[in-house]
Amino acid sequence: MERLLHWTRAHLVAIRAIVVLTVLTGGIYPLLVMGVGQALFHHQANGSLVQKDGKTVGSALIGQLFTGKDGKPLARYFQTRPSEAGEGYDMLSTAASNLGPEDIVDTLPVPGHAGRKSLLTQVCARSRAAGELEGVSGARPYCTDEGVGAVLKVFPHRVVSVNQPCPATPFIPKYRGMAVECARPGEDYAAGRTVPVDGGATAEVPPDAVTASGSGLDPDISVEYARLQAPRIARERRTPVERVLALIAAHTTGPALGFLGEPAVHVLDLNLALDQAR
Amino acid sequence: MAVAAGLLDPRQLVTSLPDAVRKLNPLTLWHNPVMLIVEVGALATTILAAAEPSFFAWAIAVWLWLTVIFANLAEAVAEGRGKAQAASLRAAKRDTTARLHESGGVVNASDLRPGDLVVVEAGEIIPGDGDIVEGIASVDESAITGESAPVIRESGGDRSAVTGGTKVLSDRIIVRITQKPGESFIDRMIALVEGADRQKTPNEIALNILLAALTIIFLVATATMQPMAIYARDINPGVPDSLALTADGVSGVVLVSLLVCLIPTTIGALLSAIGIAGMDRLVQRNVLALSGRAVEAAGDVSTLLLDKTGTITLGNRQAAAFVPASGVSPAELAAAAQLASLADNTPEGRSIVVYAKEAFGLRERELIQPRWVPFTAQTRMSGVDVADRQIRKGAASAVMNWVRVHDGHPGEQIRGLVDGISASGGTPLVVGEVNGGQARVLGVIHLKDVVKQGMRERFAEMRRMGIRTIMITGDNPLTAKAIADEAGVDDFLAEATPEDKLTLIRKEQAGGRLVAMTGDGTNDAPALAQADVGVAMNTGTSAAKEAGNMVDLDSNPTKLIEIVEIGKQLLITRGALTTFSIANDIAKYFAIIPAIFAAVYPGLDALNVMRLATPQSAVLSAVVFNAIIIVALIPLALRGVRYRPSSAADLLSRNLYRYGLGGVIAPFIGIKLIDLVLQHLPGMS
Amino acid sequence: MFFIASLILALALVHKPLGDYMARVYSGPPGRERVLYRLLGVRPDIEQRWPSYARALLAFSLISVLVVYGLQRLQHHLLLSLGFDAVPTHVAWNTAISFVTNTNWQAYAGENTMGHLVQMSGLAVQNFVSAAVGMSVAVALIRGFARRGSETIGNFWVDLIRGTVRILLPIAFVGALILVAGGVVQNFTGPHEIATLAGGTQHMTGGPVASQEAIKELGTNGGGFYNTNSAHPFENPQTWTNWIEIFLLLLIPFSFPRTFGRMIGQLRQGYAILAVMAILAVLSVILLNVFELSGKAIVPQAVGAAMEGKETRFGVAGSATFAAATTLTSTGAANSAHDSYTPLGGMMTLLNMMLGEVAPGGTGSGLYGMLILAVITVFIAGLMVGRTPEYLGKRISAREIKLASLYFLVTPVLVLTGTGIAMANRAGLAAMLNAGPHGFSEILYAFTSAANNNGSAFAGVTVNTPWYCVALGLCMAFGRFLPIIFVLALAGSLARQQAVPVSAGTLPTHRPQFVGLVAGVTVILVALTFLPALALGPLAEGVH
Repeated sequence: MERLLHWTRAHLVAIRAIVVLTVLTGGIYPLLVMGVGQALFHHQANGSLVQKDGKTVGSALIGQLFTGKDGKPLARYFQTRPSEAGEGYDMLSTAASNLGPEDIVDTLPVPGHAGRKSLLTQVCARSRAAGELEGVSGARPYCTDEGVGAVLKVFPHRVVSVNQPCPATPFIPKYRGMAVECARPGEDYAAGRTVPVDGGATAEVPPDAVTASGSGLDPDISVEYARLQAPRIARERRTPVERVLALIAAHTTGPALGFLGEPAVHVLDLNLALDQAR
Repeated sequence: MAVAAGLLDPRQLVTSLPDAVRKLNPLTLWHNPVMLIVEVGALATTILAAAEPSFFAWAIAVWLWLTVIFANLAEAVAEGRGKAQAASLRAAKRDTTARLHESGGVVNASDLRPGDLVVVEAGEIIPGDGDIVEGIASVDESAITGESAPVIRESGGDRSAVTGGTKVLSDRIIVRITQKPGESFIDRMIALVEGADRQKTPNEIALNILLAALTIIFLVATATMQPMAIYARDINPGVPDSLALTADGVSGVVLVSLLVCLIPTTIGALLSAIGIAGMDRLVQRNVLALSGRAVEAAGDVSTLLLDKTGTITLGNRQAAAFVPASGVSPAELAAAAQLASLADNTPEGRSIVVYAKEAFGLRERELIQPRWVPFTAQTRMSGVDVADRQIRKGAASAVMNWVRVHDGHPGEQIRGLVDGISASGGTPLVVGEVNGGQARVLGVIHLKDVVKQGMRERFAEMRRMGIRTIMITGDNPLTAKAIADEAGVDDFLAEATPEDKLTLIRKEQAGGRLVAMTGDGTNDAPALAQADVGVAMNTGTSAAKEAGNMVDLDSNPTKLIEIVEIGKQLLITRGALTTFSIANDIAKYFAIIPAIFAAVYPGLDALNVMRLATPQSAVLSAVVFNAIIIVALIPLALRGVRYRPSSAADLLSRNLYRYGLGGVIAPFIGIKLIDLVLQHLPGMS
Repeated sequence: MFFIASLILALALVHKPLGDYMARVYSGPPGRERVLYRLLGVRPDIEQRWPSYARALLAFSLISVLVVYGLQRLQHHLLLSLGFDAVPTHVAWNTAISFVTNTNWQAYAGENTMGHLVQMSGLAVQNFVSAAVGMSVAVALIRGFARRGSETIGNFWVDLIRGTVRILLPIAFVGALILVAGGVVQNFTGPHEIATLAGGTQHMTGGPVASQEAIKELGTNGGGFYNTNSAHPFENPQTWTNWIEIFLLLLIPFSFPRTFGRMIGQLRQGYAILAVMAILAVLSVILLNVFELSGKAIVPQAVGAAMEGKETRFGVAGSATFAAATTLTSTGAANSAHDSYTPLGGMMTLLNMMLGEVAPGGTGSGLYGMLILAVITVFIAGLMVGRTPEYLGKRISAREIKLASLYFLVTPVLVLTGTGIAMANRAGLAAMLNAGPHGFSEILYAFTSAANNNGSAFAGVTVNTPWYCVALGLCMAFGRFLPIIFVLALAGSLARQQAVPVSAGTLPTHRPQFVGLVAGVTVILVALTFLPALALGPLAEGVH
């Protein structure tokens, strides 16, 4: 009985406590931050919005797509990184791929089932696409020429290039004396030993161009990726490539204080500058 | 008690084997959950091996049973050593009869009740514990102390207690029985050395809790590994089944092996043996701890109360200097002092003769018709009359009075000498003479308390161990301080009454310290009871023996220091073997995990740092090592980890290196060596 | 390297004044917050015995769960709901438990589930108070060590209010403004569309983010306003805000040892605890950086860097350091996708949590967890010096070791049984995004994170199913409150004891010897407990 009394009392105090603390930390505090923040840092507090010709075209902090209606990259703009946020750079469904570092075997599509591309194949495909767009080699280690993961499933008496659906030609003809087969969608290769094949290629497309960011909203690209895109931009915009490179340099933020983080090129700013330079 | 401490006779292992097998009874093992789990595991593997026989499965089953037996063996060996002593004690307790004092009737000793008065005469066995109410007798107590010299027991005072089972050699005494039937000192001793009513001590309970927690963790880790293993096997369908891992998961035999290897079997197996052996080590030193708690408390003691006389100093004062009065030569004084002491058989008297010989080369002399004057409580002096010369030595006031009575004048100088010696902690004995009617004081003998050899070092050692020593004495503060300084104790309590002692103990305890003390008299009883470790002298009264929680059969107060060391050693041994046991697990993981999973994940073979030959030999080697290490550590458990008094930080470093680092490395070597042998057995590939 | 060094330097500078300030707050007389006690109806001068303290804490937490649950379920009736529907029951329950237990595991995506009011006045409030609850428990345990012969261990309501009002609120306010300056938004804007430069459209949304972000890090909560947490540019826009956020989440946990040393009157004991935390933390940060920068796995090797799931502005190192900090503390915020880390890098994040969130751990919870480990170490080592083990003058006997053991048992048992059950049933297995050992790692990570109240995830795992919401909810609740009850009971039993005076025979607990020992015991116990699981997850994936 006494214990019950103790408990009841504790709960009554608890209710008062949560009300008081909610008012304090869930009301006064955020509103105070908002008041002071809006007053002192109006631009930042509202999302660091970027305007062009008086119209908001995005946020300086949020990356966006520079693709056409068909989803293809617009060649006159610097391209941002691959994004896993919704259909790309969707602030209402931010996401990373969350695929593991050893995710290298695809599930090939069969009628009625879409299949699934492994992270390795996605990387290979992006590399190949970027290479094509920029007119350089899209080759990478562990990637086949047509842009899938170069992965074998080795059985005692057969070898299958598991990411290459028939009738594709396997990326190597033979492995340890056995002829390499193309993969037949729907067949279960789980029992085979997984052997990724390096292939020895040197990548020309930089890492950030072939990987999705953590937020899916990464506003930046690496200096290397920007430089890779510079010739295409110069060609499309008919400006000297030096001028494009100069713009890149102008929109590269070094690490804060010289050591915090990585140098990054802000894509929206850069593209805006390009448009305005015209 | 000639059993050498610490040595393990291999024959003991063999003779204890039947006991070890008997202890397989799960009801007996119930008190040791770690080993009970091993037994359940052994049973399970036996069933599995019977259902699907393979050499490997049977080998594991056999070695798991051996693990349990080895653990039981450790306990049985520890107990076995007590049993020999118990047997000899039992012999002393053979049925005796008792003659009642009042009625004169004869009853069986076992029928005696407290308060009964019995008569015991020369050649008879004392029928029960009690106090002498009348008479004096020499008693042979060798049955319990192992000491063959008889001791004197008399009514009244601090030597009135007698123990049942001891033998009266001379005279006749009347004893009031104080024990209840079946609860005699010998009964308790038997129970103690046999470890029959051994109760877990507080630290042992705490350690058991930690071991139980570790066991639960490893039980969970092993059990939950099964669904993970099934998944791992499931996503690698190309891998053929192995003895360790099939589509149904890790085989039962291997899973049990892993569990047994991980749970702290080493310490689990040896824990009770360590406790029994700790008590045993005390018994070897003729100390009976009436509770295991007291032994542990001894390790925790931070304050030692030591009686001055007999513990810190030799029992008696000794002559240390002859200080002559003015106008008297030292040789003259020495000669007179020697003459006065020739017939004095007290230790002080003898020491004067010895000192006179050492310092002045005076030999003992034959006197012509000497008339010896003995010491009495009234005169407080003794001496000799030779011809017309009278020599006296004794208490300053008594001798000076005697001189004055004979018209002498002691003078202020003598008083100064006397006070000086008193102030320095010594005892002054004044020597005076009446020679041809001329009375004068010759000088003063300086009697000194002599601190036992090596005490200073002992106390310095204690200080390093973090133990404060306090000297208890009835002397005045000045004397006490002088001796305290000389002996090197940290503090002293002068003019101590029993109440003072009790107050001091309470004060120390209130400061969070644990106090140990020795005592023998009835008036020590309250303090003995209050102290955390109270060691009663066997020569003491039954009240003192009742109040203390240890009894020293040798009645040697210095032993308190050894008791503290044994207490520490007991705790250190437990801690060291626990650390060793846990550290061992690392190597076992490195043996078993790759053995199970390298087939599905070849990369995990990198964990097989010992390069064990095959999965089977790896698992079996770990299990065998786990069993053998128990036997290998039995001697250590019984002997105890070597303890050298030093600071806690040093002790920790040393034990950490030896048992922590050693515990990590040893199994890597051991398992590898076992594997080198086992891999040649059939069924290992 | 400079990034890490500057963090260490900053923390070294700040932990003393902050630790001392916290000690003053918790042991001094009530300040201006006195009016709040009156509102609550408690008398600040009346202290509680441990059962009352625990009862108050549990009552407060229960009411908190109900409030957060209720707000989510009713959000479509509330202001600023942004048109979002009521949160489904199992997700609402999971989220309520998650925020009240300082876990901030998120089985939802903030930007499309929670309205602004629920975030600001439900979730963010718990960010404050759950941190304050953890701090109060730590302070109660410190009092257990500091007091002699005392029946009481403090007053929960007073500790809760003081911690919130005098420690968390001021620092959070300053932190929030700094973050706003860096670009973290603080407005009530809801989802809307804008036309992009390229002529397309883009969803935009705002919210009171900065106020929540600051306390999310400071209180080692970690529940992001948006789904992608501190990777989201509106939560963590700059390289230097990244530094600030890491600093904030390490701030209180690394300052608490100083508070501890100050309150027990032996600063060097506080330093010893701090040293254990720092050694483990620095080792972990370095290893995680090494593993990520070396990129030992097929995809990172194909890419040329472990950049999948990482932001350009943070780079690999800025992400790895954040990941180490967030898992070493019980924060669980993330500025990159842990799921895409290299196998051994991912293993480090797992291992950090498996340490029991003690290096430096959560606000308060890190200190009490570390003190429990110190107690267990003292017990084993103390026996080896031949005395009944004692720590800070308090004897570690059966009752103390029982409570410490129970504390130590809770999370491993929850993690391993949870993972085991998940691996043994279809609902459990179905959650994996990745195949093979990495899929197993996702499940293991989920239960490790929940039971240790971290809240970060190998986020590929699909945990908004009823099965996971319930299972992980139970893990979070038991993983939080069982240890708290054991700690408070321990505090009660320690406070009652008189102190044993220190002598040369006492095991010194402030020297490098002891520091190394605690660190060693912690690592070995954790390694022994989790090696099979780690072998079948990250090690199987990462060691070829």
